[in-house]
Amino acid sequence: MINETLVFETLRDTTLEVVPELTAEQFRADECLADLGCNSIDRADIITMAMDRLGVVVPIGEVHSGLKVRDLVGLFAKHS
Amino acid sequence: MTHGIEWLNVYGGVAAIRAKAIFDGRGLDTERFGNVMMDARSVALPFEDPVTNAANAARPILDRTGTDRIELLITATESGLDHSKSVASHVHRALGLPASCRMLEVKQACYGATAALHLAIGHLAARADPEARALVIATDVAVVGAEGAYAEPATGSGAVAMLVGPDGGVLAVDPGAYGLHSFETLDSARPHPDRDLVDVDQSLVAYLSCATASFADYRNRVAGADLETTFDHLVWHTPFAGMAKAAHRALMRDQARASTAAIEADFARRVEASLRYPGLIGNLFSGSVYAALASLVDTARPAREARVGIFSYGSGCASEFFSGLIGPRSAARLAELRIGDQLDARVDLDFDQYLALLPAARSCLVPQKDKDIDVEGHLGLARAAAAGRPLLALTGVRDYRRTYEWIN
Repeated sequence: MINETLVFETLRDTTLEVVPELTAEQFRADECLADLGCNSIDRADIITMAMDRLGVVVPIGEVHSGLKVRDLVGLFAKHS
Repeated sequence: MTHGIEWLNVYGGVAAIRAKAIFDGRGLDTERFGNVMMDARSVALPFEDPVTNAANAARPILDRTGTDRIELLITATESGLDHSKSVASHVHRALGLPASCRMLEVKQACYGATAALHLAIGHLAARADPEARALVIATDVAVVGAEGAYAEPATGSGAVAMLVGPDGGVLAVDPGAYGLHSFETLDSARPHPDRDLVDVDQSLVAYLSCATASFADYRNRVAGADLETTFDHLVWHTPFAGMAKAAHRALMRDQARASTAAIEADFARRVEASLRYPGLIGNLFSGSVYAALASLVDTARPAREARVGIFSYGSGCASEFFSGLIGPRSAARLAELRIGDQLDARVDLDFDQYLALLPAARSCLVPQKDKDIDVEGHLGLARAAAAGRPLLALTGVRDYRRTYEWIN
């Protein structure tokens, strides 16, 4: 199982790459990607790129709109 | 000769509204307008439904080819009218197809027409009768309203008709060149005839994952296939034009490890021409990828043979990456049908006119024992946009039987 800190950092770095207007400080566990200003395409990009980078396949049926960053971290860690 | 699409026509309605008018009217965040990449969407009139859309898409083709040798009719739709009786049966009557024609309706969300196209090609190849033809029609209606948020300005109504035969003059489908990826999920559905259910994040991630996996399966079947060099053009299922851009970017990143600037340049060169019609009609569900193909041919007007990679995705979910050849014959055939002119001739509705039409459009699939349709009240508008083209209209429902009539 991949360390949750590594998942969080990968999701954060990927999000900052896709949406450069964001800062690392804004990316917090209790935020939703949508609330951070990521549109639907940004969110799909972030999730698929993070899966690729971490070598993790999250079952598509477990990805839902409105998940908080901490939920995504938990999903990635669970399926690593 | 290679089996494929001999004729292709797109029916994008007789009325449309600018996407910006819906953004303004609903108070949507205009900063997202660029992300959606839509100019307009078609709007159904009260006498339009999946049957009229299908017939209105197919009629211009059949007026040129005749109907005698059509041995298979498949309607692909997620806008069914009945649990038992197919849309195809109404279309069969409206178009005067032969009694010796097989007919059926298929459903697999936005992938349905692609499945039907490949099954039709297989059927015709097995028949080995050079005169036999199949008619595949993707037909759907939008039932979305304000609750759909950014889906509302991006969802259209209409149909795409494809005459399938042994001489794929519009698209000669590469035999055996396909890749598939399917699994069960609930990313979007239509659980009621007037309600779409969409988990946006799940659906977009499913789409992108399927694009990557389908292409990987294609590459396993087609020796030497390469995303960057094998295809002169790429056509994507286009629920909104921005999604095609995202899919292209994701696959180029995955397959070519290309830089952002290189991906942008490649998008302009190989994809952009396919987005004109989808950006004027809105999501046509299983017809959307073929509206994109028509847009590519009409916009790029290939002067030589060119290979197109095509990705079809349907929620639920099933997907396929396949390929085929377009060329000067494709351009000549599509030019005859003047799809772009007819889209431009649609009546441009303002937001209040759109709101007045919305309740009828949203309820057109809801079963009703009896229903009166005000055809006369909208004839002026329809005739202005149709410019002499015959149009099939739904004239009413009596004891659950829908009646249709060619007007104009």
